[in-house]
Amino acid sequence: MLVDRRKAAIFGAALVLRLLLWILFPSLPDLLTGRVEVSTPVNSFKRLQEGLFMYTRNVSPYDGGVFHQAPLLLPIFSLLPNAREYPLPTAIFYSLVDLANANALVTISDSGQALSGRLHSSLRKHVRYDGAAVAAWFLFNPFTIATCLSRSTNVFTTSGILYAISNAASGNSVNAMLALGFASYLSIYPALLFIPVVLLCYDQRVQKKKVSTNAAVFAVQHFGILLGSVAGLLGISCLVVGDFWQFVSATYGFQLLVPDLTPNVGLWWYFFIEMFDSFREFFLGVFWLHLACYVGGLTIRLRRQPLFVLTALLGIFAIFKPYPSISDASLYFAFLPLYRHLFSLMRYTFFAVSALLYATLLGPAFYHLWIYAGSGNANFFYAITLVWSLGLSILLADTVFAALREEWEQDNPELRGKDVRQV
Amino acid sequence: MTTPAALPPLPFNPSRVRSYILRLPLFTRLVLLAIFAFWILELQKIWSVVQWGSLTPDEIGLGSMYRLNTYPFIHMGFFHTLLNILALTPLLERFEAEHGTLTSVALFIGPLSTLPAGLYLLVEKVILHRNTPVIGASVWAFLLLGSEAVRTFKSHPYFSIGSYKIPTWTSPLLACVFASVLIPNTSFLGHLCAVLVGYLLGLGYLKVFVPPEKILRWIEGKLNLLGRLPHYVSVDQKTYGRYGVLPTANPVGDRPTPLSYLGSTQLPTRNLRRNPHFLFIRLPYLLSFLCIVVGVIWLLLLPLNEYSRRTYISENALLPGQVHAYFSGSEQNIFRGYKKELEGLLIGGAGDNGGEDGVSGEVEVTPEASEKVQSILRAAGLKVATQNYEYTSAGITHQGQNTYAIINAPRGDATEAIVLVAAWKTADGELNTNGITLALTLARYFKRWSLWSKDIIFLITPDSKSGTQAWIDAYHDMHPPSVQPLPLKSGALQGALVVEYPFDHRFESLHIVYDGVNGQLPNLDLFNTAVSIAGGQMGIGAVLQEMWDHDDSYEARLETILRGMIKQGFGYATGAHSSFMPYHVDAITLQTKGEGWQDEMALGRTVESLCRSLNNLLEHLHQSFFFYLLMQSNRFVSIGTYLPSAMLIAGNFTIMAIALWMRTGYYAGSSPSTSASAPADEKKETAQKEKDASPAKTDASGVMERQLALPLTFVVGLHLLGLLPLYIFNNLSHQYFASAVYTCILADILLPLTLAALLTHHSPSTSTNAIPQHYLLIKSLSLLLLGLFLSTLATLNFSLSFMIGLLCAPLTFTNRTTSTSVLRHIFSTIGLVILNVLSPPVVLVGGCWWAGVSVESVLTLAAFGWDVWGVWTQVVVWCVWWPAWVIGCALLGSSVF
Repeated sequence: MLVDRRKAAIFGAALVLRLLLWILFPSLPDLLTGRVEVSTPVNSFKRLQEGLFMYTRNVSPYDGGVFHQAPLLLPIFSLLPNAREYPLPTAIFYSLVDLANANALVTISDSGQALSGRLHSSLRKHVRYDGAAVAAWFLFNPFTIATCLSRSTNVFTTSGILYAISNAASGNSVNAMLALGFASYLSIYPALLFIPVVLLCYDQRVQKKKVSTNAAVFAVQHFGILLGSVAGLLGISCLVVGDFWQFVSATYGFQLLVPDLTPNVGLWWYFFIEMFDSFREFFLGVFWLHLACYVGGLTIRLRRQPLFVLTALLGIFAIFKPYPSISDASLYFAFLPLYRHLFSLMRYTFFAVSALLYATLLGPAFYHLWIYAGSGNANFFYAITLVWSLGLSILLADTVFAALREEWEQDNPELRGKDVRQV
Repeated sequence: MTTPAALPPLPFNPSRVRSYILRLPLFTRLVLLAIFAFWILELQKIWSVVQWGSLTPDEIGLGSMYRLNTYPFIHMGFFHTLLNILALTPLLERFEAEHGTLTSVALFIGPLSTLPAGLYLLVEKVILHRNTPVIGASVWAFLLLGSEAVRTFKSHPYFSIGSYKIPTWTSPLLACVFASVLIPNTSFLGHLCAVLVGYLLGLGYLKVFVPPEKILRWIEGKLNLLGRLPHYVSVDQKTYGRYGVLPTANPVGDRPTPLSYLGSTQLPTRNLRRNPHFLFIRLPYLLSFLCIVVGVIWLLLLPLNEYSRRTYISENALLPGQVHAYFSGSEQNIFRGYKKELEGLLIGGAGDNGGEDGVSGEVEVTPEASEKVQSILRAAGLKVATQNYEYTSAGITHQGQNTYAIINAPRGDATEAIVLVAAWKTADGELNTNGITLALTLARYFKRWSLWSKDIIFLITPDSKSGTQAWIDAYHDMHPPSVQPLPLKSGALQGALVVEYPFDHRFESLHIVYDGVNGQLPNLDLFNTAVSIAGGQMGIGAVLQEMWDHDDSYEARLETILRGMIKQGFGYATGAHSSFMPYHVDAITLQTKGEGWQDEMALGRTVESLCRSLNNLLEHLHQSFFFYLLMQSNRFVSIGTYLPSAMLIAGNFTIMAIALWMRTGYYAGSSPSTSASAPADEKKETAQKEKDASPAKTDASGVMERQLALPLTFVVGLHLLGLLPLYIFNNLSHQYFASAVYTCILADILLPLTLAALLTHHSPSTSTNAIPQHYLLIKSLSLLLLGLFLSTLATLNFSLSFMIGLLCAPLTFTNRTTSTSVLRHIFSTIGLVILNVLSPPVVLVGGCWWAGVSVESVLTLAAFGWDVWGVWTQVVVWCVWWPAWVIGCALLGSSVF
């Protein structure tokens, strides 16, 4: 039981590290909660507190236009003691969510879907990390820790996505759809993952049961389950808040129409600040279309590796979604160690990682110059968010290249190790 | 490249010249580089290279014997340099190709420059009793010409012009005569001496100076010079005796053909892409070194007129000096009256006020004096309030009481305010009675004006270190519990002026202090306004950075910049104004200096005019620069011009990190395909690399997988370990600081060695000559982080980043050495000693010793800065510099084990 002991040690160490940070640096969580890189209008813990305050006093939490998160979070958090006076229960709760997320990652890793699936089988199966290492990568990633300390509600979306994928990878297609429904209910964009998740479920089903059901029927059935789960959650939400339309426009409307242009690490805010209002609707459509269009292309091109499609899509979301934060990036980074066998095929890892590191340091520095020192301006910070996105895109493009290259080597075993030119 | 047949072939073939230049051997290159470098050095005017290194007969003594060797490298101006380089290159190249690099080094550094010099000195000084300095490489050119002439003489004794037969050995003499006739300022005697020594060389009399071949071979083999140095001409490779002359007389041989320098053909053509050794190992060092050199030169260029700009007022609303200042006449009587009243209460301690530390000083502000100030302000019709504060840092308690009063703006809505500060004790610890009195007089005077559109706050603090900090913190509700909140507040602060007048006689000029905490600077417009009002309106000179006699020369400008950079880099508060800066309130201190004819009324008028200018502001100062280096009260460099220098220095670490990373991943894999074309000496190297690569997994595509766990843990762990000294030095009591520093120095000697031993112990045992992958990875990651931190820091505090970058520069070049055990031990021990001299605590001790202050006081100030001002220089030192230094030391130390 060596592996289990390792896993337990890693999980324990991660938990202790989080709690230690919480206890030793009591001001750190509040500092992180205020950072624009970590907290966005749709996942900020401060805004959640505001909504909670109104909720516990029987005022509609969406009055006042501060709270934009799903209403089901409110009863959950009202069970916890006040985070200001008793921070520890909240800390433990968030740490446990992180551990649960890591556990889902272990399941994904153990399923081996990254290495071989129904339609593909990697040439470098021996090059892999075990589940514990993948979990450690996720748990000790500074971005994950920062997200956890800042108590961003994004971690729940992350759990939804991770459990959807882990269930899909281990063949529980119904649970996968339910988890995906939960994630989509919290923030809309995970719904875009439906097609690759369904493909993953389908592949698993066929591989395990050896009977090929009709793919279209399978997809429609599962779409039904997804719709059902979202509808169920919305129904429960109606019980929590009275005014259904106010809730929908404050949460989903807010995420779709992007009215709050507070700076964040993404690309939308500066663009929409600079834009004339008359073009706003058009470009909203274009931006969302741009985000959605990757799903089709990647799914078709990488049909043989649905898990890799999911990874790439998570990377794309971390770059192009309307209110990204570093927690989205940390979710993407969590999937990368599953593809250790591709690392040797990647060409620009060092450059991409350096760009990300530079952006990580320069971002807060420039934000300080802009907001506090007054000696910089918005362009400083925006330039750094561009570098950040550039670093992520290079990493993403590089992994996609590596995956394609590996597929190509599977198809052309005689050309392994030869130089190729992509045309 | 085909020339049309009709045209004659070009006599000058560029590609041939290029290949010729690319084939130049090592020593020739070094000589040319040195000559060029000295020419560059002459461009600056601080230090006369010519005077330093020329061969001046009268200057030669035991201490200046170096001149016998330096004079050939130094030239007078561009054309001198160019002509000598053109003359010397072919001759020297040929000599080196014939005799090998080592012999050339031994001869040219030694006898071939000292002998002609000695001969010249003998003739010039002893016989002729003259004193003509000589410089220039022409001495070598003529020397080599002489030896060539002897050689030619042996094969072709004469040329015949008509019926005359002229012996060929005279040709250098003729050249010497022509040169002295045609070119002005050439030393005939010097050239003659050189030609004579050349004859001796050619005739073989100087053979005794050539080191024995056996020794040369041994050195070459031991150091593997052939494999390490590019363009090196080996003892074996040299075309020894091919031309049949030197040093063994071997007269048979073919006549040298002047255009084909056969000697250099054995140097392999070095195609960069096919030479991974050069690309991955040599080139990064060169690039990094170049980055550092260019970075430093860049900074040295800044004081020139071409790179700096004159200051100008960017914010039009300020209108400096456009109003008449009415503060004069009867106000002086009030000033005297107030002063008398205050002095009456202060008698006793005013005599000796040398005490530095806040409370223990003799001039404790008596409660009566403070009461008096309050009553004067109240009598002038202002709202008065007080604030008590107390800070504890390094076991010392600083406490005091701020008194402040507010004039409500008759024409404003109390949303904006200007602050006028006078501290009882100036930044230098002197008693500031005149400053306080002036502030009180101005308060009474300002109160009667109806034109203020901003509130004016008069703040009287007991000292310049902590008082303003407590007040400004409390003003923004950011104060610690030991500081009282402010009972009375006004609007957003637009600017702050601090007045210091710590003596009783009249003053000459105003010293403007502008550095803020953590290197933040006030908007340049505020500084410019002060300079233009003081200089233009009042006729008082303005000086900065304690440059009392600034003559606007290059040296003075550079010194001003450097002083500014040092203050900015340390990031401590230089006066009462510094505490305002973190809150984005622009502030300066006006200090009176010197003995002149300006009285307190002139200072008062300056302050009045400044307040009137600030009163005009429509929005917060934002137009002008926040990042600048001032070199004179009316000249500055802006960030766009100076930032590249720190960025280049930070970039050198990143370049090295990238190169090391690529070396760990690709170099080993890619070498087999290229080794066929690589020269023999590099095959050995690549073979080692492959052996080194074998424990790691090598992929079919020739890419090696990197083992990152150990390097990552090591680097991150050390950076976290930096928190420990940071905590200790900020929380110790002040009397333990000195011993803590010495403990730290000792720990810094031991820690890297321990780490090195651990690393070596746990590393897979490979051949001793290769550097295992994880050493390279550790260095790569550490340098990557260092480059990252420093380039980020350069945007926040340019000077600190620049200084730390320079101090860390050796870390790029240290590595685990891979030579035989004796040399390795020697090299690494020397390296460790040098690195230990550059360790943070040693640098601190050295800096303190140089500046003549005690380590304890510096560290007490640093701890005070950390606790009160929020200085984070320590974080940079302990969490950026120190870990990088430890890693560099550990890598170097690992070669001992």
